[in-house]
Amino acid sequence: MSQENNRHYDVIVIGGGATGAGTARDCAMRGLKTLLVERFDFTAGATGRNHGLLHSGARYAVTDQESATECIKENMILRRIARHCVDDTGGLFVTLPEDDLEYQHNFVECCHKAGINAEPIDPKDAIRLEPAVNHDIIGAVKVPDGAIDPFRLTVANVVSARKDGADVLTYHEVIGFEREQNRITGVKLRDSKNGEITSRYADLVINAGGIWGHHIAELAGVRVNMFPAKGALLIFGHRVNNVVINRCRKPADADILVPGDTISLIGTTSSRIPYDQIDNMDVTQEEVDVLMREGTKIAPSLAYTRILRAYAGVRPLVASDNDPSGRSISRGIVCLDHATRDGLEGFITITGGKLMTYRLMAEWATDLACKKLGRDVKCRTAEIPLPGSELEAHEGGTVMTRPKAHIIDLSTDQKAAEERHGSLSAEIKYNTLADEAVVCECEQVSVGELKYAIDRLHCENLINLRRRTRLGMGTCQGELCACRAAGILVKANKCAERTLRDLSSFINERWKGMYPVSWGESLVEGQFMSWLYEGVCGLDEIALPEDKIDAK
Amino acid sequence: MKYDSIIIGGGISGLVCGIKLLKAGKKVAIVSSGQSALHFNSGAIALFGRKDGKDVLHPLDEIARVPEGHPYAKLGMDTIKRLLPEVKPLFAEAGITLVGSDNENHYRLTPTGMFKPAWLSMLDYASVSRPDSLPWGKVAIINITGFLDFYPDFIARGLNLAGLQCEARDFTVPELETLRKSSTEMRATNIARFITGDVIRRFAAEVNRIVAETHADTVLMPAIIGLFDEEPVRLLKEQVVCPLYYVSTMPMSLCGMRAQMRLRNHFQHLGGAYLIGDTVCSGNFDGGRLKEISTVNLGDMTLEADRFVLATGSFFSHGLEATPNKVFEPIFNLDVNVSGPRVEWCDVDLYKDQQYMKFGVVTDESFHVYKDGSRIDNMQAIGAVAGGHDALKEESGGGVAILTALKVASDIINELK
Repeated sequence: MSQENNRHYDVIVIGGGATGAGTARDCAMRGLKTLLVERFDFTAGATGRNHGLLHSGARYAVTDQESATECIKENMILRRIARHCVDDTGGLFVTLPEDDLEYQHNFVECCHKAGINAEPIDPKDAIRLEPAVNHDIIGAVKVPDGAIDPFRLTVANVVSARKDGADVLTYHEVIGFEREQNRITGVKLRDSKNGEITSRYADLVINAGGIWGHHIAELAGVRVNMFPAKGALLIFGHRVNNVVINRCRKPADADILVPGDTISLIGTTSSRIPYDQIDNMDVTQEEVDVLMREGTKIAPSLAYTRILRAYAGVRPLVASDNDPSGRSISRGIVCLDHATRDGLEGFITITGGKLMTYRLMAEWATDLACKKLGRDVKCRTAEIPLPGSELEAHEGGTVMTRPKAHIIDLSTDQKAAEERHGSLSAEIKYNTLADEAVVCECEQVSVGELKYAIDRLHCENLINLRRRTRLGMGTCQGELCACRAAGILVKANKCAERTLRDLSSFINERWKGMYPVSWGESLVEGQFMSWLYEGVCGLDEIALPEDKIDAK
Repeated sequence: MKYDSIIIGGGISGLVCGIKLLKAGKKVAIVSSGQSALHFNSGAIALFGRKDGKDVLHPLDEIARVPEGHPYAKLGMDTIKRLLPEVKPLFAEAGITLVGSDNENHYRLTPTGMFKPAWLSMLDYASVSRPDSLPWGKVAIINITGFLDFYPDFIARGLNLAGLQCEARDFTVPELETLRKSSTEMRATNIARFITGDVIRRFAAEVNRIVAETHADTVLMPAIIGLFDEEPVRLLKEQVVCPLYYVSTMPMSLCGMRAQMRLRNHFQHLGGAYLIGDTVCSGNFDGGRLKEISTVNLGDMTLEADRFVLATGSFFSHGLEATPNKVFEPIFNLDVNVSGPRVEWCDVDLYKDQQYMKFGVVTDESFHVYKDGSRIDNMQAIGAVAGGHDALKEESGGGVAILTALKVASDIINELK
């Protein structure tokens, strides 16, 4: 075992979602020696499978004041510390003719109580503000909603944690714990790629595994009752709306339409699923039909807009500790010290909550960690911007200067990269003409950006590259760029066999999201995809279902 | 305007049918939206390449066993054997050299370094009789610097698996450096425009330099030469010191576009009317016959014909369309063969059988189409839109497109005599 493997950490954080990455950042910033472990890729779980909505908290105002208050506070913080991940679109809560306008009065009152600036406006003004909204609306309220990119947000937290000395292991699954009597002293890890099993040791282990945290707690011998709630969403082929549109009613299916980058998202459905189904995120025909039926009420043009794909995520609902039946659900953040709760030292679980409160969850978990480790260091994650969102570009350079000698200062792909990586885009090298070549035309991803992601952002495969750069997320769904990206990836990993298999499973993963909506243009693209990769290339030969190295 | 025959769809099937009709002295028009599946061609045409996931060596043996309802079953073995000898000469007249045998498949090298069965390969495309005994010796895989749609590493893997040594190199010439300055210009079709005349000589010099350096016996290059005709392909070959073959690139497919253009030019040269960029919007049916059609561009002016041929392709070419609830033929709302509800159209695994691939319009044994349950006596469907075959799993799309086209053209010629 190498010396690095024997290194003793103050804290091991389990889970590469926003909460885990945020916790690793917070721990590292407070001077704790930190290791972040993730069984697949960052954002592979619920973090990468939601609306990407920067909630104002208004959605929770009527039903859950505490969550609403947390949301608006974090909303304001994220606008500061994660500028490059946030799109300040503003939001509307609209009342349809079939909804009760009375609800709006209570809604606005509750928003104000929670500190949310909710402003009722004339429906006509709302239509002017967002022409995609149903023109029959009878009420509208403006709120400070926005869009947030959970992929960028999570990776920015990882980059920050690493800067402060944290180590990071992706594709390492926790399969057990090291313990001494009633104390957890480390984790047993399995390397998903080669199956190798190793142990890493720490004074404290923080379980930030989202819904998978239920299982992780079980491995440690304690019980945290979580109930998986599945939510399905549809992605539309272009940015239908520029303002977040919510339905002003008690939260229900498919009542939020969020613009994100080049697309729009409608969601979600909500259904309890058995725990053994949490890795099976198929979207059913019924879910698609509900999303379309309700979605077109908010924005009628969705009926004739191309659907790019469907996907689903699982949120962990946590049972209240004081309810033995497990039916009473705790709505907010749940931070458990298993020493006081279960007599198990060295183990913390942070769960519940939502993407919006990931930073606060991290703060709570790190506060508890510091207390247990006897460190008195204050949290600074609410003040210090994430890498990419600093006001001034680091390394003294300004973001706008690039060694591009001809025609225009900044090409479309370079502008897109700056949108995606903020000031970190200064680290993308355009040393040669080859680096400037565009790989993904839909999303304007260059060779240089891919190389940067491979070098700096923990990219092992094409799905990682997609999550870091938006490669293959556009209208062609990777048909034309996946192969090009594979050609670049193989230069870095020098393994044609692995990369070809990766390409074949990447294409299949793209199809998996198109399959639930396989009519119209999606079916056309699907057929094209089959012709190209199975027909022209012959990739079916190398497609092995057991070869998966990532959650689909 | 009145024609003997009007063909709707200007891809490989429509053009082959049109050319044969013109040569028999008929007055023919093709209405084409301008899109053709040929633009994504692999460098080869398949007759029948795979069965149950296994390669087929003798396509005619398998064709003899296809189930009822398959276009090959409707054609019948006698007809197929009668039509096969027409194929290569027809393409040759159009300026497209095809290499291969009707009795035995050969293998083409794919862009990702796999070998797949093929019937007819385009001139000088990399192909071998058997993938386990490659006759190439040491191979130099030569790319153009900065060209991202060609994958030397994957091709090298395929050749290594077959026991060959190879070495990957790249080079460029000044003419292409101009292209590279725009970040999206390095695509096969753009490169091909520059590789003509004197550039070919410099290209050959670079290739020969690499051959000398690597001691290669054979050169493989991306198919980035000869957009309009085969002349540049021949010129480069003449000047390179060892055998040189091309591997098809990711789209656009250069040889596919060339084939499409050559066929179309040939069709027009023979006197055919090719109405490009137009879409048929409706038809006037009377007594089980289609009398005339209207198009978007021609407006009130209708097109009349004695016979109509539907060659509009599959979903990809919009010969068929799907909504959440149904699959339909979008021009005339002809009867379609669709199995089951939406959940059964596709499989969630892309590489499994996809039912929708076999969807097509309903046809009788002689490819006549149906509308509202009644046969349309003067309209036949050819190629992908005729359905009944899985072009992908069987590797039969090209054969079905060409042979149904030739058969329907024969029918029309015989009937209009």
